[in-house]
Amino acid sequence: MPKLKIDGLEIEVERGTKVIEAAARLGIIIPRFCFHPGLGPVGACRVCAVKFEEGPVKGVQMSCMTDAQDGMVVSTTDEEAADFRKHVIEWLMMNHPHDCPVCDEGGHCLLQDLTVAGGHGIRRYLGKKRTYNDQYLGVFVQHEMNRCIQCWRCRRFYQEFAGYRDLGALQIAHHTYFGRATDGQLESPFSGNIIDICPTGVYTDKPSRFTGRRWDFERGPSLCIHCSLGCHIITSARYREMTRLEARFSESVNGYFICDRGRYGFYYTNHPERPRRARIRTEEVSLDQAIQTAAQKIIQINQKNGPKAIACLGSARSCVENQAMLIRFCRVQGWNEPTYFETPTMAKKVKRAVARLDEQLAVSMREIEKADFILAVGADPVNEAPMLALAMRQAFRNEATIVVIDPRPVFLPFEFEHLPVAPDDLEPCLTALIKGAVHRSAAEKMGEEALRFYDTAPAEYPDAPIKNRMVKITQKLRQSRYPVIICGTSIVRETTPDVAADSALLLRAARGRAGLFYLMSEANTFGAALLSSEEGSVMDVVESIEKGSVKGLMLVESDPFRSFPDYERLKQAVDKLDLFLVMDYLPSFAARLAHLFFPTQTLFEMETSFVNQEGRVQFATSAYRGGIPISQISAGGHPLRVFRRDIPGGESQPAWQILAKLANIISLPGREMFSLSKNELWSWIAKEYPIFANVPIADELPDDVRVHLAQGREKLFPSGGQIRSGGLSRENSTLELVMGDWTFGTEELSTYSKYLQQVEKEPCLFMSPKDASMLGLKDRERITLPLDKGRLEMELRIVDTMAPGVIVMPKHRQLAWQKIEKWPVKVAMGQIRK
Amino acid sequence: MLSEELLEPLQKRIAETDHPRELVVDIMLALQNHHGYLSDQAVEEAARLLDMTPLEIEELATFYDFIYREPVGRFVIHVCDGVVCWMNGYDSVLNHLFKKLGIKPGETTEDGFFTILPTACIGYCDLSPAMLINGRAYGPLTPEKIDGILDRLRSEAPPPRMAR
Amino acid sequence: MYPQVIFQNRKPNRIATIDEYRQSGGYQALTMALQKYSPKEVQQAVVDANLQGRGGAGFPAGLKWKSVADDAPFPRYLITNIDEMEPGTFKDRIMAHADPHMIIEGTILAGYVVSAEKGIIFVRPSYESSALILEREIRIAQEAGYLGQNIMGSNFSFDLIVHRSGGRYICGEGTAQINAIMGMRAHPKQPPPRSTEKGLWDQPTVLNNIETLVNVPHIVRHGAEWFKGLAKTKASSGTKLYCVSGKVNRPGCYELPMGTPLREIIEEHAGGLLPGSEFKACLPGGASTCFLGKEDYDVEMDFEGLKKCRNRLGTGAVIVFDQKTCLVGATLNLIDFFVRESCGFCTPCREGLPFIRDLLWRIEHGEGEEEFIPILHRMCAHMWKSYCAFAPGASMPVTSLLDHFPEEVHEHISQKKCPFKS
Repeated sequence: MPKLKIDGLEIEVERGTKVIEAAARLGIIIPRFCFHPGLGPVGACRVCAVKFEEGPVKGVQMSCMTDAQDGMVVSTTDEEAADFRKHVIEWLMMNHPHDCPVCDEGGHCLLQDLTVAGGHGIRRYLGKKRTYNDQYLGVFVQHEMNRCIQCWRCRRFYQEFAGYRDLGALQIAHHTYFGRATDGQLESPFSGNIIDICPTGVYTDKPSRFTGRRWDFERGPSLCIHCSLGCHIITSARYREMTRLEARFSESVNGYFICDRGRYGFYYTNHPERPRRARIRTEEVSLDQAIQTAAQKIIQINQKNGPKAIACLGSARSCVENQAMLIRFCRVQGWNEPTYFETPTMAKKVKRAVARLDEQLAVSMREIEKADFILAVGADPVNEAPMLALAMRQAFRNEATIVVIDPRPVFLPFEFEHLPVAPDDLEPCLTALIKGAVHRSAAEKMGEEALRFYDTAPAEYPDAPIKNRMVKITQKLRQSRYPVIICGTSIVRETTPDVAADSALLLRAARGRAGLFYLMSEANTFGAALLSSEEGSVMDVVESIEKGSVKGLMLVESDPFRSFPDYERLKQAVDKLDLFLVMDYLPSFAARLAHLFFPTQTLFEMETSFVNQEGRVQFATSAYRGGIPISQISAGGHPLRVFRRDIPGGESQPAWQILAKLANIISLPGREMFSLSKNELWSWIAKEYPIFANVPIADELPDDVRVHLAQGREKLFPSGGQIRSGGLSRENSTLELVMGDWTFGTEELSTYSKYLQQVEKEPCLFMSPKDASMLGLKDRERITLPLDKGRLEMELRIVDTMAPGVIVMPKHRQLAWQKIEKWPVKVAMGQIRK
Repeated sequence: MLSEELLEPLQKRIAETDHPRELVVDIMLALQNHHGYLSDQAVEEAARLLDMTPLEIEELATFYDFIYREPVGRFVIHVCDGVVCWMNGYDSVLNHLFKKLGIKPGETTEDGFFTILPTACIGYCDLSPAMLINGRAYGPLTPEKIDGILDRLRSEAPPPRMAR
Repeated sequence: MYPQVIFQNRKPNRIATIDEYRQSGGYQALTMALQKYSPKEVQQAVVDANLQGRGGAGFPAGLKWKSVADDAPFPRYLITNIDEMEPGTFKDRIMAHADPHMIIEGTILAGYVVSAEKGIIFVRPSYESSALILEREIRIAQEAGYLGQNIMGSNFSFDLIVHRSGGRYICGEGTAQINAIMGMRAHPKQPPPRSTEKGLWDQPTVLNNIETLVNVPHIVRHGAEWFKGLAKTKASSGTKLYCVSGKVNRPGCYELPMGTPLREIIEEHAGGLLPGSEFKACLPGGASTCFLGKEDYDVEMDFEGLKKCRNRLGTGAVIVFDQKTCLVGATLNLIDFFVRESCGFCTPCREGLPFIRDLLWRIEHGEGEEEFIPILHRMCAHMWKSYCAFAPGASMPVTSLLDHFPEEVHEHISQKKCPFKS
């Protein structure tokens, strides 16, 4: 490892470390504009010049472009280097508009900082400033090209790192311009990152424009909960309003960047219709009054119908604390355990995934970047978990082969092999690839069950074009040194998570190293699966209401009307209830129907934790104390000068605290009383769930703690002998309906964002050209799709990148798709009409 | 839309090339010749032909000196402003052109015949002062010579498709 | 009259045909190489001949070829650079119009040495006539069996195409040219990796100036010693195409022994200065070299000779200025060129050159201040810390103006006008 001296301080670094990074480790921050640790060096801005006094490199050189080497003696304070850096800043400031007072970047602007730090204070340039026309870049990003210092970060992130192709460099020389070919919404769902990385105010956050300077905001580290990845974020709030969200660096999860769904999805917390008062039917009451009323009702039902007559639904968007307290509540009351999943199948899939992920197989997104072969099964990263697509792209840039087995028209911002097969064929397609690449001896080494799995799994995929493409893929897989399997849990069959895990085990046996990465539907699906001990589903609860055995229903941050496939049935069930109690922060349909409603706090208002899809327990601090945003009660002016002790609209409480209070009233004498202390709750969690015992409840926001169910207890290779050959039993007269996610428009919380609503695309139905031609349908025609309980009308899109025999539709906010009796849905071909 | 006549050879060349993107300048020049300049429509066409995005075409089109993103005359007069021509009378050449054509650099004559674009040394320093008109070089220039060249071009060429 | 090697078939207003080229011994070198010599032997001959790259940097061509590792992957590419956009330089155009097959044969031989399968001749748009000539003659060479599969029955296959540029000075820089060919913005790219490891489409790529390559057939045929003997000076070898322009009686491109003294080039071959003109200065190798004053009039025009007087041979394009020409104005013109042609990638070049240009413009137009001079010195010195060689080259005329002709600059400032303008 090279050892060098920077400003008299010695440091040893790994080979390949750049001098600028070595210095940073010593606490010496060498100026930089173009260099960004997430993008690497490029040598364009020249402001990181330092003097190399001794060693293999001599003279003033760029510290970002020079590898640290043995014997180097580096001075960052050398007169010539400092003078050059000062000149670089002077050159960059020649054309800068000096409009800091009206620039949103002011106060956290790298150019501002370095101009002051570099000592450039007096303008010597006498010429005119160059000016540009700005472009409309859409809803998220405000463009102000005059401020540009041409550091190239935006283009490098946008095109090279993220792989999108509609923002770049135009013109030449001192006219170089960064923008699009024409005005318009940026196409990349990662576009907001150019705001974070721009060293000055060329790209600023449009929705939060002119809302304050950095020091005006309450800022804190938090988590993104708009998919299961759990990216790290920084929140900014002011005047009781969440204002802006930025990426927070995370070594293992998201690196330096986040997606636009995460960045602009938070507006539900400020939603003008967000219910902020407790309600009995339509009457607003105090929280305590509501709790008292609820307690009476609950006691009545319990006395009359027994403890099993009240069912609870939690959700996978709730934090660990809320989920755990709900379980604890039910256990203490002797109720049935709460349900977290819509259907038994979903519950089973998620539970199997959680059961199979162990410390050896689980990989983080950073590790995915290092994979040389990625095999994604039933996963649509850009739509389901956008940042995963960026991690995969980094692997692609390192020459990894990437294969996606999925019926949907999957798009990824890089070249990949797409094997579009129907959901029933995902498993045989996967095992055929694995068997082609893994020798039987590898399975043999792993024991009888592995061998049975290997021997009985289909070895060939019957469809010729796909089979032919698989030959080349298998070859690559055979040569790979670090394969990773990514497995979705939304559209796959019950057994697929197990097949994916078993395939990863076989690959590991054969290749020495392999990874497994599951995608889940929501931010805390993993937590829900870990905590809940039963595989009950909303379906079971609805049946019990229909049978009359359940009289009361309590929803904790759950809106089954969004996700339950049969809206009418659910509505009728809810109408039958004696008690319908809802705790939430969303103005959901369920909240409107509630007999009793309790306002809960959002992630941004409480200290919480979530478990992401790789079992990583992550913590978030509260960004602000909640309450109605001042902008919503002041009509744009200054709020009324009224002195009061409470926060207007600040009655919301963490759902788990409301539950604790409720429990303490209804509990029979002698039962345990719940504390309102988070630490007490966590000690209960640690006691009940030993795998959480090692999770430190600290202010330090650890993110490297992963909880995995103990290894060895789980049955490996359970699907041996059960995977049938692909494509054989396909009926030709029906099409299977696959419902997927879209980046914008399907994820529950973010659909409440007025900004994301503006970039949502109209929902449509995707069909393969083969099926469309059989039905005589044309691209962009409006069609009618018959479902069990009614019809849907939408536009048809014919795409050749999807599986035949399947139709694909998003679970879109704008689509009343909840007309389905049960999954899977098969639609008779002739019934899809213009 | 482009005629098959124009498209076919371009598509053929693209199909025959290992790396179609190598042809991007040729395609831009071909479309420019067809449209008179690289119009917005031509940018889109080039992007479609090469499986690139309009932005990717634009990144190159606006980089190069000989790709015209704005309408130009039938004849583009690239007056060499290299240092040799500069010392050998570039100013008087330019002034003569201004006077004769009534336009400034970057402008096009009313009749759509001529555009003046001063340009970097065109490599005819042995014939300076020099200029390049539609790929052909002329020099050493004198006012009389310039008059002769422009008059001949104007009389021999068909009138421009669209006067500005 | 010196022996004419590159221009042996040059005729007024006419292009040498393939037959004329063959009559003069053309394609014999290729035949010999394919039949008798291994690529390594050809390479060694060029190393021995000390063929210095004629594009401006003078790096030995043989060594450049050697940097393609024996086990480097295939395909490999060979690029012939005919993008000359260095002001004052027009030798590539003359070569293409004189004897195109010499270019083709030189390129094929270089391709043979590095086992390239494809050659690309990169031509600037102002040289459309050269591009057309080369395309036509490449077809003729193909028909004659010098290009294509298994050339002359050997196991060497080589295709050659002409690539047209969209026109920018920076495209002449090797790595920028590779980016340009790939349909990217023509930005230079610093090693590692070197182009000879990962160049065009990430494959090993050798890029040579056309004037370098035309020498190769002659070296193969006549040997390294003969080639060295062509030069006037010990340190150099071969002949050089000197482009003379500016205030001389016979501007033009002259093939003379490498190291011919400047005085001889100007006074004998270019016919001396125009009547009434006196030599004040010249740029000895294009725009990105230093002004050379009367005190160095006898310099031997090779890489070493110019290095000795802290200048560069560059492209060997001698631009002659007389006592009536304002050097501040000339420098302003040069800087205008560099400002406009900067690719815009790095700060000193993109922003620093316009700053320098602004100061020079003010001096030339009577708005100069003495305090500008130390700023100019400083900024020019800092240009050497930019990303590629463009900005350092751009700073050379400015620095040398300040160093060699300070009075002329001071006069502009003190008189508050250009003394050369009435």
